Amino acid sequence: MFELAIPLRAFFDSLRTQLVGLGFTPLEAWASSKLIQTSVTVACVLSVPLILVYGERKISAFMQARIGPMETGPWGILQTLADGLKLFFKEDVIPNGADRLMHTLSVIIAVAPVFVCFAPIPFGKDLAVVPLDTGILFVFAASGLSTIGIVCAGWASANKFSILGGIRAAAQMVSYEIPRVLSVVPVIMLASTLNLSTIADAQAGGILHWFIAVPIIGQLAFIIFLISSVAETNRLPFDLPEAESELVSGFHTEFSGMKFALFFLAEYAYVFLSAALATTLFLGGGHGWSAGGWIPSWFWFLFKSCGIVLLFFWFRWTYPRLRVDRLMSFCWEFLLPLSLINIVLTAVWIVFKGMP
Amino acid sequence: MTLLHVLVLSAVLFAIGLFGLLSRRNVLGMIMSLELLFNAAAINFAAFDHFLYPDRTLGQGFVLFVIAIAAAEAVIGLALVLKLYRHE
Amino acid sequence: MTLSLGIFYAFAALIVGGALVVVLARDVFRSAIALAGVLVLVAGLFGLLNADFLAAAQLLVYVGGVLVLMLFVIMLLLSPQNQLRHQTNKQAISAALMSGVTATFLIVQFYAFLRSDAPAMEGQPSTAALGRLLMGEFLVPFEVVSLVLLAALVGAVYLSREERP
Repeated sequence: MFELAIPLRAFFDSLRTQLVGLGFTPLEAWASSKLIQTSVTVACVLSVPLILVYGERKISAFMQARIGPMETGPWGILQTLADGLKLFFKEDVIPNGADRLMHTLSVIIAVAPVFVCFAPIPFGKDLAVVPLDTGILFVFAASGLSTIGIVCAGWASANKFSILGGIRAAAQMVSYEIPRVLSVVPVIMLASTLNLSTIADAQAGGILHWFIAVPIIGQLAFIIFLISSVAETNRLPFDLPEAESELVSGFHTEFSGMKFALFFLAEYAYVFLSAALATTLFLGGGHGWSAGGWIPSWFWFLFKSCGIVLLFFWFRWTYPRLRVDRLMSFCWEFLLPLSLINIVLTAVWIVFKGMP
Repeated sequence: MTLLHVLVLSAVLFAIGLFGLLSRRNVLGMIMSLELLFNAAAINFAAFDHFLYPDRTLGQGFVLFVIAIAAAEAVIGLALVLKLYRHE
Repeated sequence: MTLSLGIFYAFAALIVGGALVVVLARDVFRSAIALAGVLVLVAGLFGLLNADFLAAAQLLVYVGGVLVLMLFVIMLLLSPQNQLRHQTNKQAISAALMSGVTATFLIVQFYAFLRSDAPAMEGQPSTAALGRLLMGEFLVPFEVVSLVLLAALVGAVYLSREERP
C-alpha cells in the first residue's frame, strides 16, 4: 500500500517525457534520471554511517550499563555531527617520508568502491538503482577493490607499524573473501540467478520461503556469510589490523582529520552493505514473514538490515579479539572447507528436490 | 565503437606491455608488464567474441582461461621473486 | 559522437595513460597502483563489450587477488626509500623501436583484413551461456585449468616457505 516504487516510477517517467519534450534525446533523458537516482543513493549512503555511529555508541553503552552520549542535543543525537565537524576542521598531517600523492590516493581507493556497491541492491520492491544481471558478483568484486586502498594506506604512512597493519588487514580481507563468496554460492544455486532483485523475489511468500529456512544449508550459509562479513569489514572480534591497543590503530595511524573520517565512514558503510546483502540473500529482503500484508517492502528491508547491524554491534562488544594466526587458521581450516561442503550439500538437495 | 577501435587499443596496450617487459630493470616491473600483455590479449578475445560471434560466448570462455592462467603464472613468478631476493 | 563512442575513447585514453605510467614510473609501488587502475578500466571495457561476468571476474581475480599479492611482495621486499634511480635499462630505445614496429604491424594488418562496419550491440545476458560453455564444450580445459591452479598453489607455498636451520 505504501510501496515507494510506484510513485517513484511515475515521477521518473514524467521527468523523462518532459525532458524529451524539451528537446533531449531519450538516451540523455534516461541518463539524467539515472544520475538523479545515483546522487540520491550516494547521499543516503553518506548519511547512513552518521546514524550507525550514533547507534553503536548508544547500544554499546547500554550493553555496558551506561548511557552513552547525552550532552549534544536531546539524548546525544547531534554527537556524530559534532564529531564530524571536529574532524573536518582538524589539520591534515602528512608524515615526512611519506609519498604525498599515495597518502591522499589511498583514502580515495579505500572509500570509493562502497558507493558503487549499493547500486544493484534492491531496497524494496523494484527499488534497485541498477538491477544488474550479475548483481551479486559485481557487489563482491567492487568490495574487493578497497583492499588495495588499505594496503596503500599502510604503505603511504612510512611507519613500520602502519605497513604491518596494512599487510595484516589486506591478508585478512583477501582470506575471508573466499568463504564469503563461497557461502553465497548455495543461494545462487537455489535461485538460479545472479540478479539480486530476482533472488529477493524468489523468497516471497512468508518466512518458510526465505533462504535461511532451507534446512541445514540455509542456516550454515547464513552463519558463514555473517562471520566472513564481520571479518571482512575488520570489526571485532577480527579487529587486529586496526586494534587500538595493539598496533596504535594500525594502518590508519597517520591519517588525521577528514581522511580518518572517510575511513571511518567507509567501515560503517561496509557494515550496512553486508547487512543489506545478508537481508537480500537470506532473509528475503523486502518480503514480510507472511505472504501479503500492508507493511511496505522498504520498511521490511530496513527493519531486517538494522537487525543484522544490531548483530554486528552485539558481536563487537561481546567477544574478545582473535590473534592473527588463529584468525587465519579459522578461515582457511574451518570456514573454507565448511562452505565447500555446503555447496555439495546444496547440489544434493537440488537433485533430491528435482528443481530445474 | 567498432571492432577496429578495440583492436587498435589492444595493439597499443600490447606494444606498451612489450616495451615494459624489455626495458624494466626490476623483476617486479617485468611481471607487471607481463600482466599488461595478458590483458591486451584478453581484450582482443572479448572484442572478437562481441563483434563477430555475438551468439556464441566462445571468446569469453577464452578470456576466463587467460585470467586463470595469468593468475597462476603471477603467483609462481612472485614466489620465485621472493625466494630470489631472500637469498641475496 | 555517440555516448558509447565517447565512453570508449575516455576508457582508451585512461588505459593507455595508465599503461604508460606502469612501464615508465620510477617508483615500483606507483606503477603497481597504475596497474590496478588499468585492470579496473579493462574490466570496464569488458562491461562495454557486453561481457559482464568477465568484468566481475577480472575485478575479483586480477585486482582483488593478483594485484594485492604483487603489492604484498613489493612491500615485503622493498623499502620506501630506494626507488629513486632510473628504472629503464640500456635497451630502452631498441625496446621502444621494437614495440612501435609491432604495434604498427598489428594495426596495419587489422585495417587490411577487417571491414569497419559497426554491428548493433546485443544486450543478452551472457552468464548462463558462459556456464553452459564451461560445463559442456570446455569441460576438459576447465578441469585442466583447475589442476594448473592447484599446481601453482602448491608450488608457491613450497617456494616461499622459510628455510629450516
